[in-house]
Amino acid sequence: MKPLVSALLFLVAVPALAQQTVIEISGAHFRPMPMALPVPLAQDDGAKAVAAEFDSALFFDLQACGLFQVLDRKSYLADSKEGVTAATITFQNWLNVGAETLIKTQLSKDGDTLRADLRLFNVNAGREELKASEAAPAKDARRLAHKLANAVYKHFTKETGPFESRIAFVRKTAGGKDVYLADWDGKNAAAVSSGNINVLPAVAPDRSVAFTSYKRGKPELFLGRAGGDSTPLVANGRMVAGVDFSPDGKRIAYSVSDGENAEIYVANADGSGATKVTDTKYFLNSSPCFSPDGKKLAFVSNRGGSPQVYVMNADGSDVKRLTFQGNYNQTPAWSPRGDLIAFTARDERNAFDLFTVEVATGKVKRLTQDTKNNEEPSFSPNGRLILFTSTRGGSKSLYVMTFDGNNQIALPLDKGDYTTPDWGP
Amino acid sequence: MTTARTESLLQPRPTPIVAFVSISLVVHVLFAAFLTIFSWLFSPPRLSMDPEPIKASLVRLGKKRDEKLLPRKEEPPPPPPPAEKAAPAPVAAPPDKAVALPSKDAKVEPKKDTAKEPAKDTKKSLFDAFNKTGRAASQEAPEGDEAGDKDGDSAKQEGERYYGLLSAVVKRNYDVSDTIPENERRTLKATVVIKLGATGELLDVDLSKASGNELFDAAVLGAIKKAAPFGPPPEHLRDSLKKNGVALVFSP
Repeated sequence: MKPLVSALLFLVAVPALAQQTVIEISGAHFRPMPMALPVPLAQDDGAKAVAAEFDSALFFDLQACGLFQVLDRKSYLADSKEGVTAATITFQNWLNVGAETLIKTQLSKDGDTLRADLRLFNVNAGREELKASEAAPAKDARRLAHKLANAVYKHFTKETGPFESRIAFVRKTAGGKDVYLADWDGKNAAAVSSGNINVLPAVAPDRSVAFTSYKRGKPELFLGRAGGDSTPLVANGRMVAGVDFSPDGKRIAYSVSDGENAEIYVANADGSGATKVTDTKYFLNSSPCFSPDGKKLAFVSNRGGSPQVYVMNADGSDVKRLTFQGNYNQTPAWSPRGDLIAFTARDERNAFDLFTVEVATGKVKRLTQDTKNNEEPSFSPNGRLILFTSTRGGSKSLYVMTFDGNNQIALPLDKGDYTTPDWGP
Repeated sequence: MTTARTESLLQPRPTPIVAFVSISLVVHVLFAAFLTIFSWLFSPPRLSMDPEPIKASLVRLGKKRDEKLLPRKEEPPPPPPPAEKAAPAPVAAPPDKAVALPSKDAKVEPKKDTAKEPAKDTKKSLFDAFNKTGRAASQEAPEGDEAGDKDGDSAKQEGERYYGLLSAVVKRNYDVSDTIPENERRTLKATVVIKLGATGELLDVDLSKASGNELFDAAVLGAIKKAAPFGPPPEHLRDSLKKNGVALVFSP
């Protein structure tokens, strides 16, 4: 009897012994994929003349988007004349330099048309995964590179890349400050305003640019196009500033200051039908910014004692304070993904830095730190990148980083003083 | 006298089978009752057969940050101390000018300049107050929990110490390619069972449940391999870690 009972008791205990400890691990460090990007193979002299321009644009796009770590070309072991097909590539050479992805490009020029062929290889598997070809006028070599960078971006993320979008920014000039519209990397910039002081641009879905101009004394809103004339948008004799377009381009939001207070207005895109959506005597309400669905506005108000980020419905109802940390929070920018609002805040060390706040929870995350002053965030159309200004290099210039604060890179701009960027479609 | 009828096989006869079955039944019932009562009286506390995940992250040692302040970026954990090297040949230090570098744990002594005793003018005290924030910031200790650990990598969660260390060291090497689309990241989950030896060496790695994403699976296996060998497990965990291992459930 006794052995039988012992056996039965053992059977009862076995499952307990077999129980396995389970540890949950999360919080992965998402890191850029190591990528090798050898210089493009130019097929003819015409292609050679623009190869450097094409190459620098492609290199910058892939490096700055935060998905890839473009490896230093000095480390490459492969022959510079290595072929562009899987059969002619010695993948071991690329594995040895740490590449997981290899991109090979070929350029050829036919008349005024520049043609680029791109092939993307999985280095570990030794196989071709993407083949893309694009053509453009030879003078647009950079934009051709942006198209191909978008193809690479889409291959990995299944999303449209931001490389063919446009940005607007203000640059200090001899005569004041002017608004420019440029490619996403700041190249091919064309003036939207001319002379006097023009600030706070906002790019509309049709790539026209609204901005605040002091050309007639008081700040007023003007609308212009790259290389064209600008016309008054909201000029009613009051101090109007800080415009933003709704995502569908049908409405604008701006603030109107009357000395002791500032209120937010929402109007049609042509400035007609303006409605006051805030009404707080003796307090300031400014920097309105539409949510991606156009139904809400984020804005800055000091009604609680210090400038903080608030959200409300676009008709002014249901106002909620979103930030409670810090005592000087401003310039909100709503992510096109809807979940985050980026803003500038002054911290306890009196440094201006960038933060995001989760719209649903109010959780604040720091993006920049210990790099002098970082301000004025603006999201890329896909919400994965943030354009901002920083004084880390001396004068105020434009930088880009991923939405979580990684991969902070300066745009390849000429020397100057750049402020208030806005990232358009 | 026997007759053909009494000898017939069809004639009913008394048999012990009924009694045997009855006794057997009673014995079985009693045995079952005994087992039930015995297990009710003496069995250990009931164990859940569903594995409960351990959220094991070491809490960082430090002072908690004021919740009203804007957050600081979490600094990466300090690198491990360098291996001890043979002491270099003694070099005669300049006698008076040499200044000892403060160790990380050493308290920073405020400089006392007896020659220039602080003149208590309002301007200086104003500047002192103004600069106080900046100076304090440059010397402040890392934020964490007063009951935390120097190797801790989290300011918030806590868990059993060995599993916490194991989790922390794997997490430090948990690098995943940024090219995985965000909508895909939400659903990724991979389980790896690892078995460890007495000194913490990796005996076996098994991707028991793949995530379905080639890049993610390669990343979690890479994290474990880079993190190994681990520290020696405590005595009471050794047997279990060697035989059953520990299941690491990875999610981004």
